[in-house]
Amino acid sequence: MRTTSTLFGPIPPQSIDRLQLETSRIIDIYRLLFPSQRLNFFFYEGDNPIWGEPSIIEGEVTLAPEHLSAEFLGRVECQGAHDAAPVITIMVSVPRAPFPSEMKLQDSDWNPFKPLKALYGITPLFYEEIRYKVEMARKRRARRVHAHTSLPLGKGTSLLPQPQDPNSGKRPAILIGTHWLEVGGAEKLAIDSVRWALEAGLRVFVVAGVASLQRLATMLPDSPDVIFIRLDRYLPDHLWPRFVEQLVLTENIRLLHIHHCRVLYDALPQIRAKTPWVKVIDSTHIIEYADGGYPRISGVWSNYIDIHHVISRELVNYYRDHFQILNKVTLGRMLEGKDMRMSLPPMTMQTAQKTLYVSFIGRLYYQKRPIVLVEILRALASWAQKSNVDLRGTIVGEGPFLSAMKQLMRRYRIDDKFIMKPADCDIPELLSRSDILLVPSNNEGLALVCYEAIEHGCIPISTNVGSQSEVIPTDLLLPLSPRAAVHTSVEIIDKLWRNKDFLAYQKDALHAAWARLAADPTAKDVLMTHYRAAAGTSQE
Amino acid sequence: MTVLTNTTAVIVTYNRSAKLMKVLDALERQSLSLDTILIVDNASTDDTQDRVEAYAKDMPVIRYLRLPENVGGAGGFHEGIKAAYMQGAHYIWVSDDDAYPEPDALQKLQEAIIEFEDSYQWRPSFACSRVEWTDGSLCEMNTPHPVWDWARFVRPGKAWALVDSCSFVSVLIPRWAVKEHGLPIADYFIWFDDAEYTRRLSRSYPGIFCPESRVTHDTPDNRGVNFGLVNDKSLWKFKYGARNETSFRRREQGFPGVVAYIYSVHQQMKKGRIPWKLRWKIFRSILRGMAFRPKIQNV
Repeated sequence: MRTTSTLFGPIPPQSIDRLQLETSRIIDIYRLLFPSQRLNFFFYEGDNPIWGEPSIIEGEVTLAPEHLSAEFLGRVECQGAHDAAPVITIMVSVPRAPFPSEMKLQDSDWNPFKPLKALYGITPLFYEEIRYKVEMARKRRARRVHAHTSLPLGKGTSLLPQPQDPNSGKRPAILIGTHWLEVGGAEKLAIDSVRWALEAGLRVFVVAGVASLQRLATMLPDSPDVIFIRLDRYLPDHLWPRFVEQLVLTENIRLLHIHHCRVLYDALPQIRAKTPWVKVIDSTHIIEYADGGYPRISGVWSNYIDIHHVISRELVNYYRDHFQILNKVTLGRMLEGKDMRMSLPPMTMQTAQKTLYVSFIGRLYYQKRPIVLVEILRALASWAQKSNVDLRGTIVGEGPFLSAMKQLMRRYRIDDKFIMKPADCDIPELLSRSDILLVPSNNEGLALVCYEAIEHGCIPISTNVGSQSEVIPTDLLLPLSPRAAVHTSVEIIDKLWRNKDFLAYQKDALHAAWARLAADPTAKDVLMTHYRAAAGTSQE
Repeated sequence: MTVLTNTTAVIVTYNRSAKLMKVLDALERQSLSLDTILIVDNASTDDTQDRVEAYAKDMPVIRYLRLPENVGGAGGFHEGIKAAYMQGAHYIWVSDDDAYPEPDALQKLQEAIIEFEDSYQWRPSFACSRVEWTDGSLCEMNTPHPVWDWARFVRPGKAWALVDSCSFVSVLIPRWAVKEHGLPIADYFIWFDDAEYTRRLSRSYPGIFCPESRVTHDTPDNRGVNFGLVNDKSLWKFKYGARNETSFRRREQGFPGVVAYIYSVHQQMKKGRIPWKLRWKIFRSILRGMAFRPKIQNV
């Protein structure tokens, strides 16, 4: 490698280290992608903390003044396999380090859709109802607008030579592709998968499909066997398939596990054509109303995928009903470490009790319907006043709806009854002293917090979405319509409070549902089988 | 000619789970393994779904397409052939849920179609099996219709007669034919969808009848399609048949074809001494068929 740039001036050592680290990461990515070519890097200083804006030219480039702009850092040349090796020119910015505020702040405050702002001001619930109706209209259109047919996969003929596993001799490895490494349910499973793969004896390569600060990257196990490759920053999407192919060949990747990583789905034709021995698993969670979300994408790619791991029965049915797939779908619950023999504590709530404690735990995003939650709390406060019940509660969560919720609670004068806490508060303690957990969600796979609530003697009441009906009895489910959800939640709580038999029946039903779910295989159970097989550490 | 042989079986079913399981048993025993078995369920109300799901646990090639409502055999075959085509099948083997193929039924069909192409440089637009009733006799309703020179390529040991129509009971359709001629007409709902479709395919070249490929059709009785057999119970099906064939004749043969059809239906009903109450209903269906112009959907 020959460097033609020189750094001058009083530059802090950490900046120098950072630049060297990032440039070496970039070089590593392109060296793997173009193993024999001569690489001609042009580095620039980026003002974007996330994306390196790479531009790849397969050949020499004629330089113009813009190539030596004020942000130009320098040029690095890497030799090819031989003197006549073709040239690849790579122009890429090194993203700047994020500011502390950027590391902390994820989303700006939510504001109602501008043309309906006045309506929200008058009646937030009606605003929510309109939003819900629009979403349902999109859902009805989804099948017409978005493909629901699996792409055919031509397997070719045995008359022509088949690709052979080159057997690099390296210890088997897995490539785990995430959507991104930011807070979310899918990401939790992705990070768990990394741990399990290590446990199974695999070397682990991790990539993220969406460029971001990847704040959860620090949660990846600190092991020399875990390598996070920053393709999200430095590689254009269209080159991912070729990079993945090279990574498979070089690093002896035996398994590809996709966690909502769109770019890896796009790499599947390359995998199937060039490295067909690689087994492909994907994990999906939630069906989006508007377009089916990742389960639909996964269904479309199904012929390229060996195992669809899903976390709920709703998804098992989705693959069957929309893509005719029966036996490639494996249910594995996100319930690691649950012991089905554990004895559940009695439910806290009693009929006609003088106090009632309700909780909400979740990220304050539209998906969790924070505005509907406030409306439910308002309606409950009114019911409590009439029933002479002292109503209290806690809302746990952070997100763009936080300030809108606070404002609304002040406006309804219920802010003195409910405490708002950040996400890192003691959840088990809160659930243990709560009578009711409210989950007025817009969409779910299966909310684990309901499961945890039962384990701590708290009754969950949830919207009937996703697979919530697997953990919540029918009588405790709310309709999806926001207005109906508000009315029904008060009706349910009133009935639980007044009717001893109803309350007892629901408690039993919740315990039975908990036991049913605990008896199902967990995600770890189903994934470890494949991980161990790939690592050659199966215990059979 | 293709060297690719990815084959999908399309089985349309409605509330006959026990028979369907026997079909799956027969498909599992095929000497030529299938790449996909697509069960098209016309919204059965029995235990079909559960039994197919249970069966699929040991048979990975099964896919299950449950239609939101019963769209009849025609609608089921339309959806099934479309799905199989979209999934990349090179051969689509179409059959009913009460037809049990012999273990070499598929292999014989595929060998015949490939060997025919290779020997005569013509591509048959389909290949159909000999369909037998439960007692081993010829199943009347599944008799293919020969073309005038049906015997042109019939040789000892390879009696592949040329036919221009057959029923959807064990017929193997190559991908190119679906691409060229589209899908069965779903709007027919039931009856004549198979005859119309195979005749449409035959525009390219006739299909071949392969007697060495055998299937048992487990129908309650062995009766042909003859308007002399109409009764109160079967009237609904005959009405669909009359409407659909009239529509086809009008499209393909014009008014003279319809007149000839009316005459033949009239003669059959007269011979069968069908009461006028039923005859009028059939004639009304023929009238409806004259204005019935369903669209042919291409892939």
